[in-house]
Amino acid sequence: MARTNVLAPSAELREELRRRGGASAQRCFQCATCSAVCNLAPDGQPFPRRQMLMAQLGLIESLAADPAVWLCHNCNDCTVRCPRDARPGDILQAVRSIVIERLAMPHWFGSIVAHARSTWPLLIGLPLAFWVVLLGVTGHLTMPARVANYGQVVPHVLIYAVFIPVSLWVLCAAWMSGVRFWHLLGSAGPPRRGSFIGATFSTLGEIASHRRFALCEAAHPRRWGHFFLMWGFIGAAVTSGLLVIALYGFHMEMPLPLDHPFKILGNLSAVFLLTGGTMLSFQRIRGGDATGQTTAFDSFFLGVVVLVAVSGALVEIGRFFFSGEVAGWLYIMHLTGILTLFVTFPYSKFAHMVYRTEAMIHQKMTEEG
Amino acid sequence: MSQLSKRPVLVVGAGAAGLTAALEMAETGREVVLVEKEPVIGGRVARFHHYFPKLCPPSCGLEINTRRLERNPRIQVLMSTRVKAARRDGDHGWTVMLETEPEYVTDRCTACGACTEVCPATCSDRFNLGLQEAPVIRRPFPHAWPERFILERDACAQGCHECVDACPYDAINLDAASSLQEMQVASVVIATGWHPYPVEKLPELGGGRFPDVISNVELERFASADGPTGGVILRPSTGTPPEKVAFVQCAGSRDIKHLPYCSGVCCLASMKHAFYVKEQLPEAEVTIFYIDRRAPGRNEDFLVRVAETKGVRFVKGKVGKVEERDGTLEVTAEDAEEGKLLHETADLVVLAVGMVPEKEEDPFGLPRDDDGFAVNDPDRGLFVAGVAHRPADVATSIRDATGTSARALAVGRRS
Amino acid sequence: MERIGVFLCSGCGIGEALDLEAVKRIAEELGATCTIHPCLCSEEGVAALCSVLDDGTNDSLVIAACSPRSQCRVFSFDAEKTTVERVGLREQVVWSHPAGDEDTQAMAEDLVRMSIARMGEEKLPVRLEEEIADPVLVVGGGLTGMEAALAAAGMGHPVFLIESSDHLGGALSGLPEVLPVAPPYDRPHQSMIPALIEQVEKNDRIRVLLSTKISSIKGQPGQFEMDVEGPAGAEHLLAGAIVQATGAHPYDVSKVVGLGYGSLPDVITAAELDAMLASGRLARPSDGQTPKHVAFVQCAGSRNSDHLPYCSGECCATTMRQVLTLGRDFPGTEASVLYRDIRTPGQLEHLYQAAQEQPGAFFIRATVRSIEGSGDGRMSVALEQTLLPELTSIEADLVVLATGMVPNSADGEAIRMLHDAQNRVEHGESDVQKEEAQKIVDELRAHEGTEILNLEYRQGPDLPVLAYSFPDSHYICFPYETRRTGIYAAGAVRAPMDPAQAMEDAWGAALKAVQCIEAAKRGEAVHPRSGDIGVPEFFLQRCTQCKRCTEECPFGTLNEDEKGTPELNPLRCRHCGICMGACPERIISFPDYSVTAVSAMIKAIEVPEEDEEKPRILGLLCENDAYPALDAAAQLGKNWNPWVRIIPVRCLGSVNVVWIADALSRGIDGVILIGCKHGDDYQCHYIRGSELATTRLENVQETLDRLALESERIRIVELAHDEFSRIPTILDEFAETIDELGPNPYKGF
Repeated sequence: MARTNVLAPSAELREELRRRGGASAQRCFQCATCSAVCNLAPDGQPFPRRQMLMAQLGLIESLAADPAVWLCHNCNDCTVRCPRDARPGDILQAVRSIVIERLAMPHWFGSIVAHARSTWPLLIGLPLAFWVVLLGVTGHLTMPARVANYGQVVPHVLIYAVFIPVSLWVLCAAWMSGVRFWHLLGSAGPPRRGSFIGATFSTLGEIASHRRFALCEAAHPRRWGHFFLMWGFIGAAVTSGLLVIALYGFHMEMPLPLDHPFKILGNLSAVFLLTGGTMLSFQRIRGGDATGQTTAFDSFFLGVVVLVAVSGALVEIGRFFFSGEVAGWLYIMHLTGILTLFVTFPYSKFAHMVYRTEAMIHQKMTEEG
Repeated sequence: MSQLSKRPVLVVGAGAAGLTAALEMAETGREVVLVEKEPVIGGRVARFHHYFPKLCPPSCGLEINTRRLERNPRIQVLMSTRVKAARRDGDHGWTVMLETEPEYVTDRCTACGACTEVCPATCSDRFNLGLQEAPVIRRPFPHAWPERFILERDACAQGCHECVDACPYDAINLDAASSLQEMQVASVVIATGWHPYPVEKLPELGGGRFPDVISNVELERFASADGPTGGVILRPSTGTPPEKVAFVQCAGSRDIKHLPYCSGVCCLASMKHAFYVKEQLPEAEVTIFYIDRRAPGRNEDFLVRVAETKGVRFVKGKVGKVEERDGTLEVTAEDAEEGKLLHETADLVVLAVGMVPEKEEDPFGLPRDDDGFAVNDPDRGLFVAGVAHRPADVATSIRDATGTSARALAVGRRS
Repeated sequence: MERIGVFLCSGCGIGEALDLEAVKRIAEELGATCTIHPCLCSEEGVAALCSVLDDGTNDSLVIAACSPRSQCRVFSFDAEKTTVERVGLREQVVWSHPAGDEDTQAMAEDLVRMSIARMGEEKLPVRLEEEIADPVLVVGGGLTGMEAALAAAGMGHPVFLIESSDHLGGALSGLPEVLPVAPPYDRPHQSMIPALIEQVEKNDRIRVLLSTKISSIKGQPGQFEMDVEGPAGAEHLLAGAIVQATGAHPYDVSKVVGLGYGSLPDVITAAELDAMLASGRLARPSDGQTPKHVAFVQCAGSRNSDHLPYCSGECCATTMRQVLTLGRDFPGTEASVLYRDIRTPGQLEHLYQAAQEQPGAFFIRATVRSIEGSGDGRMSVALEQTLLPELTSIEADLVVLATGMVPNSADGEAIRMLHDAQNRVEHGESDVQKEEAQKIVDELRAHEGTEILNLEYRQGPDLPVLAYSFPDSHYICFPYETRRTGIYAAGAVRAPMDPAQAMEDAWGAALKAVQCIEAAKRGEAVHPRSGDIGVPEFFLQRCTQCKRCTEECPFGTLNEDEKGTPELNPLRCRHCGICMGACPERIISFPDYSVTAVSAMIKAIEVPEEDEEKPRILGLLCENDAYPALDAAAQLGKNWNPWVRIIPVRCLGSVNVVWIADALSRGIDGVILIGCKHGDDYQCHYIRGSELATTRLENVQETLDRLALESERIRIVELAHDEFSRIPTILDEFAETIDELGPNPYKGF
C-alpha cells in the first residue's frame, strides 16, 4: 500500500463516515481523553485518539492497516467521556464497516452488504426465493399436515447440498479477505516477532473468556450479551457438524430425542443465541453513549441473528404446537436466515470475528520479543 | 444633571470587579452604594496566593483599593448584604430592597481579639474554603476589611456568651436581627463573580474521592501564607510535601458534558501553581497535562518561563483517569506527541477547574447567554462586570469593570 | 502646625502594656496637649478629638492608637483644616513586643516623639483651583477610538476624535464580519463599524477631525493645549484628558524566512484573505483559480523569539471566523488549520467548535517548518511535531498566514534619548562625547519620525512603552495606571486584544479620562493616591539644575526651562515624592510630607549612649506593602527587635539620602529600607520608586565605604505585601548584623 508523506487532507471520507453513522469525527480536538480512558488500549500504541485524527484527515489507507480499529471492542468508554461528543466508538465502528467493505472478495458483494440499509430486503428476499424455488423445483413445497420431522419439509440432503458449498465459498472469501488484512497489518507499524501459534492460542483463550470485554466500563453489560451470542454460534456450529456425522456416519434417526446430548447442546446453543441476541437488541434499543450509535451495519447483522434464533426456537416447538403449514414455513424462514447469515458472513458485522481475531494475534506477535 | 444622575449607582459584589467599578465611579464623582454578601471585601481574589504572570500577591492591589475605599466619601459600603428585591421605577432607575444579615458584631468592634481568645467553639473556615476549622468569632484573615470580627452564629454553643463577656467594647450582640432597607438607585453594576466548578462532578478524575486530589483554588489556599498550612504545600492525606505533582487541565472545562466554554485562566493558573510548587520544593516533579496551552498576549513569556523550568513538564494529552493505588495516585493520560499511554504516579493531583458564574438570587432578571453568563441590559440600566459577565482573568475583569462603570455612568446622561 | 494635640488610646491592651502616663509627660514636655482615652475609636473618643479641633485647642492631631491603616473612616478629618499623624502603638509596639518591658516603652515614647516632631514641620495642603477643560481628545478613529469617543460623550464630555486617515473605521474598515463581541459566540457577527460611524457622526458632543495629525500637545491634565494640522489648516484645541487608541498593524510576515510570503504568490496574510472574502471573490493571486484547499498557518511570526515573542490572542479566533465564512460562502472549499495550540479562550471556544463542524475544515496540530511550491501549482507545507508520525506535510492551493499584531505606538523615552543624542552629536563638547552620542543615534534611529502625540514633555513626546512596544503600565490590578497622567492608551495599542476586549478597554480608558478631568476640577490627585490634595513645592532659588527630579519622575510631571530648572505641572503629579527623594538640595517638599518633616522625626529618636548596648535602627518602610506586612505580622503575634524605629514612607523612591545621613550622624546604628519588588514584574505603585532607591543607596554605600563606615549599616530589602512572616526575620537579622558591627562611631558626636 502506498504510504505517501504528503497528505492531502480530504473531506471525502467524512461523507462516507457520515453515511455510516460517524458524522462526529471532526469535532475531535485531540485532547486524548479517549485513549486515556480506554482500558483496551495498549500503552505503546494507544487508541482511538490517533484513529480519530486519521478519520478527520481522511486517511482510510492508514486506518485499514491499523489493528487498533479492531482491537476496539466498542466499549464506548471513549464516547461516554469525550468532551466534544466526537463519539470515537461510533467512528471506529463506521471505520470497521468501511474496512470490511474494502477488503471484501468479491468487492461488489461487500458493497451490497455494506449498503444493507437499503439492500436488506434483497439480502433476505433472495435466500428466501432461493429456498422456495429450490423446494418448488424438487417438489417439496407441499407441507405435511403435521411436521414430525423437518426432513419432511426440506430433505437433509438438500440442506447439506446447499450449505456445504456455500460454507466452502464463504470460508474461501473470508480466507482471502483475512489474508489481505494480515498482509496489510504486517505492512505498517512494528514488525511481528512472536510466535504465531502461541499468539493464536492465547488470543482464542481471551476470546473464549471475553476477558477484554470485561474491561469495558460504561458498556459492561455488553460483555454477557456478546458472550452468550458468541457461544451460541459456536454451539450451533458444533451441533450442525455433529449432526452431519450422526446422520451420515451413524445413520441416526431424526429428530433426536430431547435428552440426547446433541439435542441438549443444540438447545443450549439456541438459548444462548436467544439470550445474547435479546440482551444486545435491548441495549441497542435503549441506546445512549455507552451503546453508541446504531446503524444498519449493526441492526442488519443483529436482525438476522435474532431472526435465526427466534425462528429456530419456533421451529423447535412448532412440531408440537403448530400446523404443518406454519411449522414448515417457519422452517423455511429459519433456513433463509441461516443462509443470509452464511452468505453475508465475510461482509457483514459478522466478519469482525475474522478481523478482530487477526488483529489480536498481530498485536500479541508485535508486542512480544 | 438629570434627576437620574443624582441617584447613586448600585454595585453588587465587592470582589475585584465590583470593588474596581465602585471605586472608579466614586472617583469620577458619582455616589455609589457597594453591597457585598460576605462580611469582607475582596471576593475570590482575596483567597488567591499570587497573580500570574507577575507572581505578586492580590493583597497588594487590595491594599491600595482599601485605602481608596476608605478615603472616598462617595462610597457607601454595606457588608453582609444582599439585594432581596428590585423594582424598576419607570425610566428613573431602580428601587431595591437590601437585606443585611444580623450584625452580631457591631461597629464598636476594634478588632482587639479578646473574643477569639475565649471562644470555645469552632466552625468550618469559609475563607479557607472549609479546609480548616476556625473559631466561631474571629477576624476572617489578616488583611480583612472591614477590620471587624465576624461571628458565625449558627456554630455557637447553645447558650454560650463568653465572647459577649470578654468584649471590652460592648461590640457583640448575640440577639441581632437582620435588617431591611429600601434604596433608590440610577443604575446597577452586577459583579457577583463566580465559583469554581465542583470537583465532586469529576469522580473519574478523583474529584471528591481522594484527599490528595484537590482543586486549583484549594491549592491557592495551601500556598497562601494565611492559608490552612501557613503557605506550605502539603499532601492533605499525609501532611508531607509532595514529590510529584500532576496538574489536570480542562478538568470539566471545554467539555459539553460539564462546562462547554474555556475559562481562559486555568492554563496560566496551573503554570503559576507550578512555580508555587517549585519555589517551595525545588526537587519536585511537576507535570501539566493539557489540551492546548492557552497563554494569550504577553502571558506567552510566562509560558516560556515555566516550560524552561527544570522539573516542569508539559504533556499534550488530557488526563482520563485518576486512581489510587497503594496510597499514591496514578494518573492516566496519553502523551499525544509520543503516542504513548502514561500511567504516572503522583502524590498530589490538582484539578484545574473552570469558573461558573454565580446565578443564585437575581432579583433583576438579568438576561443570560447559554453558558449562564449575564449580559448587559442597558435599556434597563443593568450592567455586568467581571466573571459574572464572561470568564476572564483578574486583569481582564478589572479592565472590563472599569469599562462597565463608564456604561453605568452614562445612563441618564445621553443628550 | 503649632497647636498639636496628642491623644493616647489605652484600649486594645495598649494601656496595660505601656506606661501611658510617662508617654503623656513626654508629649507635654514637647509642648503638645495630651489626653489618654480608653477607646478613641468609639463615638465618645471621636467626639473628644472633634471638640479640641472645634474649640481651637489644637490644629493638628497625633493619634497614638491602632495602625494608621485601621479605623481610617473613623479618624478622618478635613485635610484642608487639620493634619493628622497616626502612631500605630497597637500593632507596631504592643502586639509585637513584650508588655511592661523598658524597650517596649522606649519604642512607644520614641514613636510619639517622632510624630510630634513631624507635626511641627507639617503644613496644611492647599487645594488646587484651576480652570479645567472638559473635552476628551481621542486619538485614532478605529473601533476603540469610536467607542471611547461615544463613552466620553455618553458621560457628558465633549470629544475631539482625531484620525490620521480620511475615514473612520480603522483596521476593521471594510470587513463585513468580525469576531463575536456578545452572544451567540458560535458565528461571526456583522461588523459594528458602520453603525458606530453613524452614531459618532450623529453625536453632537463629538467632533471628528479626519486626515488630522497632532503637531504638539503641551500642558497637563485638565489643561492640555493641542495644535493639530488638518485639511483645513492648523487648529488650536483645549482638552482635559487624552485617550490614545491608535490600534495595531499586522506583523510584516515577509521577515519570517521559510513561510514564503513575498516569494510565493499564493501565500497571503489573514488581512489579505479578509479583503478577498469581503469582495466575494476567492482567487489565487497566481492564476485567479479558486483554491480547493486553503491552509491556515497559525502563529505566523508569533510566539517566536526572533519575531513576535508574544501571542496576539486573537489570530486563532480570526482564523475560525474565516473558516466559517469560507465554508458558508464557498462551499466545497477545504481548509486546514495548522496550529500549535488553539487559543480561543473564554466563550470564543464556541467559535472553535462551530469551525470544527464545517464539513471541509481540518485542524492539524503542527509546527510549520516551511512552505514551498510543489511544482504543480500547489504548495507543500512541511510540518513538524504533528500528532501522527506519517503526517509530515500537506498540500494546499492557497496558504493564509495568521499574523500577529504590532502596536501603532511610539516609544516616547527612546525618541527623547534619540533627540538628546542627536543634539550632542551636533553640539557635543568633545569628540568622545560625539562618538558616544552617534552610537546611540544609530541604535535608536528606527524611532525617527514615529511620534504620535508630540507631547512637549521633558521625558519624551509619547507614552513610554513596556515590553514589545506596548504603552501599557503592566499592572494587573490597575490597567490604567498610566505613566503620563491624563493620557490613557486603549485597545490593541495597549495590549494585543480582540474587538470585544477593545470595546471594553475603550470605555475603561474613557472613564479614566473623564475621572482625571473631574479630579482636576476638584484639585485632587488621581490613582493611586486618589483624593490627595497636597502638591509638591519647589524652592527654586536653591535649585542647581541637576535635572534629577525631571529625569526621575516616573510620570513625566516636570518639564525644564532652557537652563534645566524644573517646571512643575501639578496636575500631572501623582504625589509619590520620588522627586523629593531625588533632590540633592532638598528643595522639594509636600506640605504634609517633606524632607524636613522626616528629618525631624529621625532627629526625635532618643539614641542611648554607647555603653547602654542598645543600638537604634531606623526602618523606612513603603506604606503600601512593607508597612501593611508588618501590621499583619503584629496581628499574628509575631515579634521583632525593639531597637527598630519605623517610619512609613509614600514610596521608597521618596527617601532622600539626607535622611540616612541624618540618622547616621545622630548616632543611629543602622538604616533599613523595605520596599516593593522591582524589575520587569515590578510591584511598585510608582513604577520605579524602589528601583531608584536601590540605585541611590548603592551610591550612599560607596560613600560610606570611603568614609570607612561599614556599608552594611544600610540595607535595602524587597518585600511583597503578603510576606508578613518574613518581615520580622528581616528586621531581626539586620539588628543582629548591626550588633555584630558594634556601635556607630559617630554616636555621641
